[in-house]
Amino acid sequence: MDPIFLALSLYKKRCFEECVSTCTELLDKNPFDQAVWVLKMKALTEQLYVDDLEAEEEGIAEAFMDNETIAESARPGTSLKNPGTSQGGSTQGYRPWTQTGRPVSGVIRPGTQTARPGTMEQALRTPRTSKTARPSTSQSARTIRLGTASMLSEPGGPFIQLSRINLGNYAAKPALAKPLFLYILYHENNIRHALQLAVLATQACEFKDWWWKVQLGKCYYSLGLMREAEQQFRSALRQHQCIETFLRLGRVYIRLDQPLSALDVCRTGLEYFPKEVTLLTEIARIFEGLNNMTMSVKYYREIVTEDSTNVEAIACIGMHHFYTDQPEMALRFYRRLLQMGLYNAELFNNLGLCCFYAQQYDMTLSCFQHALSLAKDDDVADIWYNIGLIAIGVGDTRLAGQCLRLAISSDSGHAPAYNNLGVLELRKGRMNEARAFFQAAASLAPYLFEPYFNHSALSHKIGDLQASYIVIQKALEAYPNHIPSQELLHTLEKHFTII
Amino acid sequence: MAVPVFTLQLNCKILPGRVTIGKYDGSHSCLTAATTADKVLIHSPHRRLGPASQITGATTWSQVNKEISLLSVNRNVSALAAGRLHPELEQDILIVGTQSSVLAYNVESNKDLFYKEVADGANVIVVGNLSGYENPLALVGGNCSIQGFDYKGNDPYWTVSGDNVRSLALLDYDLDGENELIVGSDDFDLRVFKEDVMVGETSETEVATILAPLRGSKMAYALANGTVGVYNKLHRVWRVKSKNRAVSVLSYDIDGDGVEELVTGWSNGKVDARNSRTGEVVFKDNFNCSIAGLADGDYRLEGRSQLICCSVDGEVRGYDSSRLGTLIEGNVHQDAVRDLLQKKQALLMELRNYESNTRSSGNAVGQANMNAGMIPAKTSLQTTVSINMGNKSKGPHVELCLTTNNETIIRAVLVFAEGIFAGETHVVHPHDDELSSSLRVALFPPRDVPLDIHIKALVGLPRTEQFHVFELTRHLPRFAMYTLMSATAPLSQDQPHNFVSFFISERVQRVILWINQNFLLSSELEQEASGGSLSVSFTALRDGSLLNISMHPAGRVVISTPNMTLAGDLVQSLASFLNLSNLQVIAEFPDELAHLGEWLEKVSNLQEVRIQLGADLAHRAGLVRNLIVRAEDARLLPDLKSMRDWHSQLKEVNDDLINSYNIRCSNHNELLDILKQINLTIQKAARLRVGQSKADVVNLSRSALQSNNLHSLMKIVRTGEA
Repeated sequence: MDPIFLALSLYKKRCFEECVSTCTELLDKNPFDQAVWVLKMKALTEQLYVDDLEAEEEGIAEAFMDNETIAESARPGTSLKNPGTSQGGSTQGYRPWTQTGRPVSGVIRPGTQTARPGTMEQALRTPRTSKTARPSTSQSARTIRLGTASMLSEPGGPFIQLSRINLGNYAAKPALAKPLFLYILYHENNIRHALQLAVLATQACEFKDWWWKVQLGKCYYSLGLMREAEQQFRSALRQHQCIETFLRLGRVYIRLDQPLSALDVCRTGLEYFPKEVTLLTEIARIFEGLNNMTMSVKYYREIVTEDSTNVEAIACIGMHHFYTDQPEMALRFYRRLLQMGLYNAELFNNLGLCCFYAQQYDMTLSCFQHALSLAKDDDVADIWYNIGLIAIGVGDTRLAGQCLRLAISSDSGHAPAYNNLGVLELRKGRMNEARAFFQAAASLAPYLFEPYFNHSALSHKIGDLQASYIVIQKALEAYPNHIPSQELLHTLEKHFTII
Repeated sequence: MAVPVFTLQLNCKILPGRVTIGKYDGSHSCLTAATTADKVLIHSPHRRLGPASQITGATTWSQVNKEISLLSVNRNVSALAAGRLHPELEQDILIVGTQSSVLAYNVESNKDLFYKEVADGANVIVVGNLSGYENPLALVGGNCSIQGFDYKGNDPYWTVSGDNVRSLALLDYDLDGENELIVGSDDFDLRVFKEDVMVGETSETEVATILAPLRGSKMAYALANGTVGVYNKLHRVWRVKSKNRAVSVLSYDIDGDGVEELVTGWSNGKVDARNSRTGEVVFKDNFNCSIAGLADGDYRLEGRSQLICCSVDGEVRGYDSSRLGTLIEGNVHQDAVRDLLQKKQALLMELRNYESNTRSSGNAVGQANMNAGMIPAKTSLQTTVSINMGNKSKGPHVELCLTTNNETIIRAVLVFAEGIFAGETHVVHPHDDELSSSLRVALFPPRDVPLDIHIKALVGLPRTEQFHVFELTRHLPRFAMYTLMSATAPLSQDQPHNFVSFFISERVQRVILWINQNFLLSSELEQEASGGSLSVSFTALRDGSLLNISMHPAGRVVISTPNMTLAGDLVQSLASFLNLSNLQVIAEFPDELAHLGEWLEKVSNLQEVRIQLGADLAHRAGLVRNLIVRAEDARLLPDLKSMRDWHSQLKEVNDDLINSYNIRCSNHNELLDILKQINLTIQKAARLRVGQSKADVVNLSRSALQSNNLHSLMKIVRTGEA
């Protein structure tokens, strides 16, 4: 068989390694065969290609040394930075918050971990737990960790010596320039060279090729030059409407913390591509980021009518039903996920909880058993915590205490477990232990209001009004609309005025 | 002094001149200012918390922060404006200009309308409707260019001005119900644009830093030298001068009489309001430091607007007519009495002088002449304005020669003329031993503008102590700094390279008349023979270059000069003299065109380098961020050794970063210079034409520039057509 044909066939069959080795042999014979050269480049790129839209994540450095966001304190409901302030959204009262300080979402995405804690120190400490490893900058982020080619040394030196290559030569030849660009961007992860090539190439085609504009925008985006990226994407969209470009432009606005602009972009995209699932997903995610769950679920429902096997949409709708007191509905969605072949600890955990709240007690424990058997190290704590929750629900405080302690033993930073343990101790009348647990929980998770409130109530009860007053203010800081906290504060103020 | 109706403290340093007010939610006014920390501050007093939380005293101070929101711009804010840019939204849009970009931002929903790179920078921004455009425009004045953006970020309006734009105002100049644009620029000119066409132009003595529309066709202005005044169309109504600089000018009805006063905020912290017809002060107050800006808006939600003054250290005071009314009532009477007293004093003084004079004349006539400075009744002062070709010590100049017709001497001369001398006035007072009956004053008009020279000469007998003051006014023609070459002088034989030629359907006499009026000639030029052609040559006193104006009886006029600006001035002057509404010319300025080619090439080179440098900078900035996070990480882990490593690396990268920043900075400045030159050339080319052809040149040049088409641009400059 003709070796070039073989290589092409291997490439089509996505056998990239074999394709690369075939191409290498061919290139040894004739180093100037451009077709083979391009094929090898493409195979190498495909090997390491990452969906950089899905895997995109804002690094710690960007979050804290970010200088693109315009409004520092935007009006509620117009910024992703302060989801708690949005009006009409779900509050912590009935939907708990994750470690990163936003309401829990139906699925974990890179983006859902992108909260903005108060200080860099806090942000640096958070990823010390195994669950939330955040990249330090988005340039060094997943693109490097997933596509590690740039960190490996290749036998016989790198395929292309970027520093020796004359980019100007290739820029004028579109057939070579595009694969070369993708190779530099995804395989070598060298944004500066990629940008240089893109600039030359877009000049060579007299700014008429939208593809190069999108690529330029991508480069600017990963360099953190948001405004330049915005211009390139907009200019590309004027020439040619493409879903990817809409999404990328939306991402630019998200990075600029202008979610409403991002929504506008996605809606414009929907005019060209009605009912496009990726665009709908993006909109639903932005609404979720804005803590506008009703709108978010509306869009997720639209997704499900288009694509009935969309895991993210189903999980998010299920989650929404669960937290709006419809566990039976949630159960249906999670069962659907199970039917689709998902089989993991998280799903069984959720199923167990739904069963419990839907009063199907017989199923509850077996679900949790499944969950425990499937659980990996990261999830065990959560599952034990939930079992503890059920034990509290059925009134078995001894079991609850044991479960919570197991949760803490597998994850020493599990703040809700500390809080619940504190409540259990309080019921037993051991004030000092209870207070210690509350304090531990509060120091681990300052975004939770429950430990503060419990602590304050406890202090109030034992007559330490000053401590109670200080702590309740922290609770109100975490959750300003918590009525019991407000009432407690009011009583305390009354006490003080009487004094 | 007036009592403010409210005061508050923003706790921020504010940049002078960059204060505006906008109703971002459509109903509540928010004071908006640029701070020294490259941020824009929005103060929204209505955003206070509900009354429930205002009970305790401890929470009130934090509400100050609640009212203030900051927008990060991260570049030096050079201009700030707010207005209804979006025709469908009932909200004001905030427009922030920096030296390289313009951002239109919807504050209410935290959304960009558009973000545009503007290479010419944004020195000043106004928002409003302009005649000929359906949607409101944000007009951005930059270096030599004015761009108008609509809410979509398109720029339907573009024109060039003679120099860097410093001030803009939208004003119904010709009272046709639609706004015209008035532009003040670095070459001291005020220009009025109706759509693309310039409909009026006048010259000031300094850069007009602020323009503000008043009622009707009136407009307030402030110059960089501290002058504030009012124009009605292009006629000056009044002006005052101060040694401080006006920072902000606003029209606001402070005394509640239904007529707006002109409120001025000064750099020394003074705020005063003047009657817009007379310039009389009706209100004033003092701040501790310079005023940053003035605005009017309803800040107390009482249904009418207040005058809001903001100082650079963030102090805000609001005034309205309610507190002022009684104060003024009392003042009016007192002022009247004081005025009358002053007049009486002056009259008494005069009377006393006359009395003493008559007394002394009664004693001894001869001596009195000596002492009291009586001069012969027939004494008169003759002035001539001529051109002096100068000598070694003094270059060629326009000479003002004053002579008396008898033995009296001229003790001193005060010459007052706008824009010739620094500080407007020039005093010549020779030494005692050089006193004579004639005196020469050298004038160097820096620009070609018609001037009125006001002269005050102190004339008296030798050795007297009292002098008579002669006041007279002389008119200096527009092109005074050009001397007629004698006919015998050898004309340059070869055809000049640089010239403009055009056809006018006028008689030669009219052109001669124009020359007589606009040039300083020793004797009037006369037509040699009826039907004959005209050819006169001048030498420019400033640089010695040649200027030749020739006209064929058929109507072809050729003006040859190497100076394109001068050619433009001549064409404009001639066109206005002959009332030409449209004039197309052929212009040949090979040198300028060669420059243009060079510049365009340089621009594309610089821009290419710029992209590279930008990427380089961003890359290094990314490295810096990464290193900081790592260093911080090491600090938290108390790993001091690696922390030191990270920091030393950080320092190296940082030094690199600063270096590349400096490179980029110089690249940017170079680019700015060249773009300015290009804009200037287009402006000069436009000035060679009149009327529609002029506007066409600008528009065509723009599209040629956008497509980077050098040939088309050169052709436009040469022929005025694409």
